[in-house]
Amino acid sequence: MPKVSRIIPILENLLFFWLGLALVLSLAGDRLEIPALLQVLGRAHPLILHFPIVLLLMAVGLLWLSDLRLKNAGAQILLVGGNLTGITVVAGLILATEDYDGDALVWHQWLGLASLLLSVLIYFFREKSANFLRISTGTLALAIILTGHFGANLTHGEDFLLAPIQSKETEFVALEDAEVFEHLVQPILEAKCIACHKEGKVKGELRMDQLAGLQKGGKSGPFVVPGDMEKSLLIQRINLPKDEKEHMPPKNKTQLTDEEIEILEAWVAAGSSFDQKVSELKSEEPLFQLASNRFSNQKTYSFGPASDSDIKKLNNFFRKVNPVFPGSPALEVAYYGISTFDAASLQDLKKVNKQVVRLNLNRMPLATVDLSFLRNFPNLEELQLNFTGVKPEQLSNLEGLENLRNLALSGNEFGSSSVSELSKLKQVRKLFLWNSGLDETAKEELKKGLPQAQIDFGFDGKGIIYALNPPKIEFEKTLFQDSMELILSHPIRTAEIRYSLDGTEPDSIQSPIYSGPIWLKKTVQIRAKAFSRDWKGSVITSNLVFKEGIKPQSYQLAFEPNPRYKAKGATSLFDGIKGKTNHTSGDWLGFTDTPLEIEIFLEKNSAPKYLSLSFLLNEGAYIFPPESVEIWTGGQAGWQKITQTPTQVSSKLEEVRFGVLTYSLPEVSFDKLKVRLKPISKLPAWHPGAGAKGWVFVDEILLNL
Amino acid sequence: MEKEILEQGLNHNRRKFLSRLSLGIGSVALGSLLIPDLFTGKQEAEDGLMRALPHFAPKAKRIIYLFQNGAPSQLETFDYKPLLTKNFGQELPESIRMGQRLTGMTAGQSSFPLVGSYFGFNQYGESRAWISSLFPHISSVVDDLLIVKSMHTEAINHDPALTFFQTGAQVGNRPSMGSWLSYGLGSENANLPAFCVLLSRGKGNGQGVYSKLWSNGFLDATHQGVQFSNSEDPVLYLKDPDGMSRDQRRKMIDQIAALNEMNYQEFNDPQITAKVQQYEMAYRMQTAVPEITDTSKEPDSVIKLYGPDCLVPGTYAANCLLARKLSENGVRFVQLYHQGWDAHDNLPNQMIGQAKDVDQATAGLITDLKQRGLLDETLIIWGGEFGRTNYCQGKIQPENYGRDHHPRAFSIFMAGGGVKSGMVYGETDDFGYNITENPVHVHDFQATVMHLMGIDHEKLTYKHLGRRYRLTDVHGKVVKDLIA
Repeated sequence: MPKVSRIIPILENLLFFWLGLALVLSLAGDRLEIPALLQVLGRAHPLILHFPIVLLLMAVGLLWLSDLRLKNAGAQILLVGGNLTGITVVAGLILATEDYDGDALVWHQWLGLASLLLSVLIYFFREKSANFLRISTGTLALAIILTGHFGANLTHGEDFLLAPIQSKETEFVALEDAEVFEHLVQPILEAKCIACHKEGKVKGELRMDQLAGLQKGGKSGPFVVPGDMEKSLLIQRINLPKDEKEHMPPKNKTQLTDEEIEILEAWVAAGSSFDQKVSELKSEEPLFQLASNRFSNQKTYSFGPASDSDIKKLNNFFRKVNPVFPGSPALEVAYYGISTFDAASLQDLKKVNKQVVRLNLNRMPLATVDLSFLRNFPNLEELQLNFTGVKPEQLSNLEGLENLRNLALSGNEFGSSSVSELSKLKQVRKLFLWNSGLDETAKEELKKGLPQAQIDFGFDGKGIIYALNPPKIEFEKTLFQDSMELILSHPIRTAEIRYSLDGTEPDSIQSPIYSGPIWLKKTVQIRAKAFSRDWKGSVITSNLVFKEGIKPQSYQLAFEPNPRYKAKGATSLFDGIKGKTNHTSGDWLGFTDTPLEIEIFLEKNSAPKYLSLSFLLNEGAYIFPPESVEIWTGGQAGWQKITQTPTQVSSKLEEVRFGVLTYSLPEVSFDKLKVRLKPISKLPAWHPGAGAKGWVFVDEILLNL
Repeated sequence: MEKEILEQGLNHNRRKFLSRLSLGIGSVALGSLLIPDLFTGKQEAEDGLMRALPHFAPKAKRIIYLFQNGAPSQLETFDYKPLLTKNFGQELPESIRMGQRLTGMTAGQSSFPLVGSYFGFNQYGESRAWISSLFPHISSVVDDLLIVKSMHTEAINHDPALTFFQTGAQVGNRPSMGSWLSYGLGSENANLPAFCVLLSRGKGNGQGVYSKLWSNGFLDATHQGVQFSNSEDPVLYLKDPDGMSRDQRRKMIDQIAALNEMNYQEFNDPQITAKVQQYEMAYRMQTAVPEITDTSKEPDSVIKLYGPDCLVPGTYAANCLLARKLSENGVRFVQLYHQGWDAHDNLPNQMIGQAKDVDQATAGLITDLKQRGLLDETLIIWGGEFGRTNYCQGKIQPENYGRDHHPRAFSIFMAGGGVKSGMVYGETDDFGYNITENPVHVHDFQATVMHLMGIDHEKLTYKHLGRRYRLTDVHGKVVKDLIA
């Protein structure tokens, strides 16, 4: 048989050809582009697949025999069968690119491929060992059977039926367009019932693939009786116990989910209509609730999508353009970044003028921008123009936008005269006009002009009187050298700040109004208060700033400060370093058992005019103002007491703060000073430590000219 | 001899096998002709994700989550239980407690005396919802609220409960809710982070918050929450130093990016790319942030709406105002934390202070979004990590008592963003101890929030350490009843 022997190598070669092709197709089949001719080959898959099954199983059988001749025949059959398997697999892979999906396909495909691979391996290595042959052929037989099983599942089984329906579920049906039967009930019947109740397979004489069939019912009675759950066979059957013969769907088929049962029941209860729209149902009806869970609240659109590349090009750091939901042709556009806003870029949107349904231009400066381009956005439904500075006259560009439902215009100074322009926007259903300068009559007039619109005028705060926040006092440092700039500010721009520099309480009539930086040339206590119309005046905010004094020649403390708070001794009192609010910071000298008594020797002719004592106040930590201050000047005539003043005692616990006491020094010449501060000897009765000794903390003694 | 023959045969076959393999390769080439992009490759994974999200039409575009850290008592806010006042001082019946666990703080108490709210309750709005007198402003916007009285959680102590709420797991290595949304939906405004965090603290007994609560976990570092500072300068070090121009800054960033790119080529560490993106984001934030943090252009009425505290940086009110500004500028997820609700003792007093902090600003935020037409697309969430016990912790007096942690039932509320408004959902027993109707687990809540944002919580996953993770772990059911 010379001819046959020539065919064999060709067939052998072909085995590898199929194998290679099959591998490529199965790894990258989803990117396959199939010419029509090959599609025909693909569809031949169900036709040819039976040959290799028979041949391979036959070959397996023969290869198991010990008779050498039969074994050889088996090998030849295996060769032919292998080639047919190759063709079948390749055809199957091509067919797989057409609307097939699911686990069954994956199993079928890879098992088919494995069968091909196995038959090739067995063919070439069949003589290697008897064991190999047995195991491999056994596996092959199993693989073929399983492949067949999954293939059958694919074409006739449940997965085959479900695949097209599952893809339907992700399709968007708008709630307002949804039909009760077509979109809610029918998909369930299609998924779970129709396979056995259709043309050619009319179980129980009931056809569910046509309306007439449903209306007619089956051999046991009517499919549904409107409004009557008990008489409707549909409801009866789906609620029977699963083991009953009559239970539908039958035990071995995919069962209805709880939600599906609820839907079917609600449908029958509501009258099992075949042509009702979901939107015609009352919103409290269970069927409506179930439907609203299923369908998107988004509507469908008649226009097609914009091109992906256009959308991509329109997106940048300052403009976001994207579909309102995945798969929708409708686009929403938002602009961000006031400083980078370029009005000309609005013209770019013309490319997608049909698709834009939402446009957010909030806060973009539009006062002088020509908005006539908006006339070409026929499908615009929502437009946000809050705080854009648009003028009423620019609104005429919106009149022709028939689909415009939501319009946000808050924060634009429209004034009451804008009512006529606004009243022309009859199509608008929700209008936001907070902070737009409309008075009460204008608001009423507008409500009458737009009766179908819900208008939100927002919160105007009228009649609510709050205290203002205190102003903010800013300066560079607490202890300054020659002069220092002091800035007052308030977060509310319209607030008026009044202040005093002499420790008196600022009022709204006499105290100077802050209008710009204040230059300080001496130690002062700044006190400031904010006022504004429709607000209560703020609490007073105050601060102390110190001008650095002249340096004395020398000084001498009579008593050492408390060893825990001694800083660098008396030096600290003249070093020009202001202590922090923390009394342990190392800048403060603390006294409790002994007074702070110091003699200060002045440089010749320095003649300071003021003496300031900078101290700390923290009642909670027993730190009070001194009980008394005594000052002496000293010269040729010896010590001269110039003052002995009791100071004001704190009256409650307050936050940590600085204090200052400033005294004028006499005109007469003196070359030394003595100061004596007595710590409070008994804390007042209101204090938790009433009766105990208090403390005095001083960080600087300032001698100013 | 037989062996040699076999060998020979096998060799022969091997040669045949190999030589014919080349034919197979030929067919591979043929097959490839049918597939235009076989060898070009594609970034399927990332593209695929972005194309597929959101999974369906979102009802909310942005979230402002007002987290009340420390767990406000439901019994003094939204869950009105007159029986507790009537039975003041009586023992919590065992039939109600049913041996459920307690914290170590009260487990040793010899008795569990019931204590009712010191504050009166009234019904408000069309839903006739009961709200305590602590929240006069919140009660005025009750028709915008969806109050859920049947929340329950698994953890009984602050840190695990907080972490559970924010990341879906009690241990702290998972991405936060905001990170998941940033990962799934990206940023609306490319000049700002998708996820921002603002902290404030009341005078009540506080519990810390840690950055793990806004961590990106195993997600890319760009999805981490950006914490804003409490100072007047909410984003520190954002200004260019004196003398540096915008152009110079741009050049510098480009050059650093080029260097980083070289490093990336060498090591392939995704953290390097994340760093480059963060520099780029910071550059763009330099113009975007000052526009947002500037409160000087807010009308007077806005200040009155949130309360004058909103001008004091670092307060809850200021954070609410800032949250609105961030949100209207396209920040996907703004997470606030207000600390100080952990009232184990002196509860009435502490609650007064805490409520004063949050009442007006919370209501103000809702009204403010509403009057701008933004409430429909912004979801507001207000609530703590668990509730508080109906029995007293420590000394008991009608006007001074404490409450321990209670994870079995507590209340939160939501507003805007596609949730039903003017509704109260769920019910607890007369003792306020167990849920009797419509329980909502934390994972259900998370699933629902994701759903509102257009995400199927079961599909937004990330593969890490060999398994796919999601915010709701393997739990969570969307509570459809809450969705408008």
